[in-house]
Amino acid sequence: MDRMLYIAMSGAKEVALSQANNANNLANATTDGFKQDFNQFRAMHVEGPGWNSRAYALDERSGTDFTPGPIKVTGRDLDVVTKENGFMAVQAPDGSEALVRSASMHVTPEGDLVDVRGDPVLNEGGSPINIPPAKKISIASDGTISFLPADSQTNIMVTADQLRLVEPDIKNLQKGLDGYIRNTGGNLDQAIVKVTSGALETSNVNTVEALTNMIELSRKYEMQVKMMNTSKAHAQKSDSLLSLS
Amino acid sequence: MERALYVAKTGLEGQSFRLAAISNNIANANTYGFKSGRAEFEDLMYQNVRQPGAQATQDEANTLPSGLQLGTGVKAIGVQKIFTEGNAMITNNQLDVMIQGKGFLRALDQNGNILYTRDGSLQVNQNGDLVTSSGYLIDPNINIPQNVTEITISSDGQVAGQEPGNTQPTVLGQLELSTFINPAGLESVGQNFYKETLASGTPQDKNPETDEAGSILQGALESSNVNTVEELVSMIEAQRTYEMNSKVVSAADGMMKYLNNNV
Repeated sequence: MDRMLYIAMSGAKEVALSQANNANNLANATTDGFKQDFNQFRAMHVEGPGWNSRAYALDERSGTDFTPGPIKVTGRDLDVVTKENGFMAVQAPDGSEALVRSASMHVTPEGDLVDVRGDPVLNEGGSPINIPPAKKISIASDGTISFLPADSQTNIMVTADQLRLVEPDIKNLQKGLDGYIRNTGGNLDQAIVKVTSGALETSNVNTVEALTNMIELSRKYEMQVKMMNTSKAHAQKSDSLLSLS
Repeated sequence: MERALYVAKTGLEGQSFRLAAISNNIANANTYGFKSGRAEFEDLMYQNVRQPGAQATQDEANTLPSGLQLGTGVKAIGVQKIFTEGNAMITNNQLDVMIQGKGFLRALDQNGNILYTRDGSLQVNQNGDLVTSSGYLIDPNINIPQNVTEITISSDGQVAGQEPGNTQPTVLGQLELSTFINPAGLESVGQNFYKETLASGTPQDKNPETDEAGSILQGALESSNVNTVEELVSMIEAQRTYEMNSKVVSAADGMMKYLNNNV
């Protein structure tokens, strides 16, 4: 068959994949702490005998945009957000260390401090945090967690633990299949990172950009289909020229 | 089938779930003792369409550095109850009580199950027993004789009544409160009541003014803690995000339509 048809088909197929990625960004436009994914196309030349005239399109996720999202003040003690390049650590379901910039935490009946998905938040030693029954829990700007014991008659706060705060190189961060961000390069040390409690980081999806992208991708798709149509017309024409009648 | 269509569908579902949570908050903006809820989301799993490091061509030197992982949308993971204290509304009704602290009043429903509430608009039923506004008996039971004229409820929960002929008020009973280690884990059962769950932990029954249970304020009610400004802002956000996701649905539909009409 005509090469043109296959090349146009690969273009349309990859544009549809890219549209799915863009749709995922938009669907998560209000997911707290979500980081939007980049998307790019690459030309894949077909090597071989003859003229190198064929270049298929290939869609790929070249990375994730780690720019901070807008901060939303909630006033809830256990909502925390880290500043600038800092991240705090939680334990992903597979046991590995995942990094988040913002967490809406709560305390389980057993006293474990967990994030909104129920995964444990880690302390500076990398182990889950447990807090005894408390009247009030507060988180200081250096990540120190202090609490007022439930049986306390005074107003003296007791220090419980410290959040694990790290400052990874953005280049080493990768989003996994479970949506968690992980550090791929070397061990990270506890860093001096400021945290703010009573606030959450919202999604960093740029909705205007995503909508513009969406329109662009739709039009690109139509162009590919048009090319497929043209290729069909060519084939029909040559068939009719060569027909025996 | 078209992935973008399904991903946008999860976005639409998420936002309508959020709008439902917001509208429930706004609907209860004037419900005594109501605690607002916040819809929480997470991104769904990602799919590996092309593994990073896969070979791009037959030439072994040419591998894909970044691959393609496609997200599959968004999921609502629940409504987190925010247990901040609502404003005090002074009613001067002698049977209205407000809990200033973390405690909950206990009540028994018609089947004898224990329910917990922050709504302290108490009333007296036909037998003279103290009941909640929905008619459930307060636990432990407090009976108020018919001839009692004035009822006083002290900050530590002692209910006393003035009987004619007596100079001293008679102690009629003691209000008790229950606290939970994780009130956000309580199950809302409607009518301003909560039920104990595994997540909330077991209730600790205690008198008011002990530990963190809080004190009783007679003649006042706790209004809902719904911040209407915040809810309206969230509503606008939910609506706009919904619109954007519906645009993706029509874009994906447009792509398929174009393909069907032209090939």
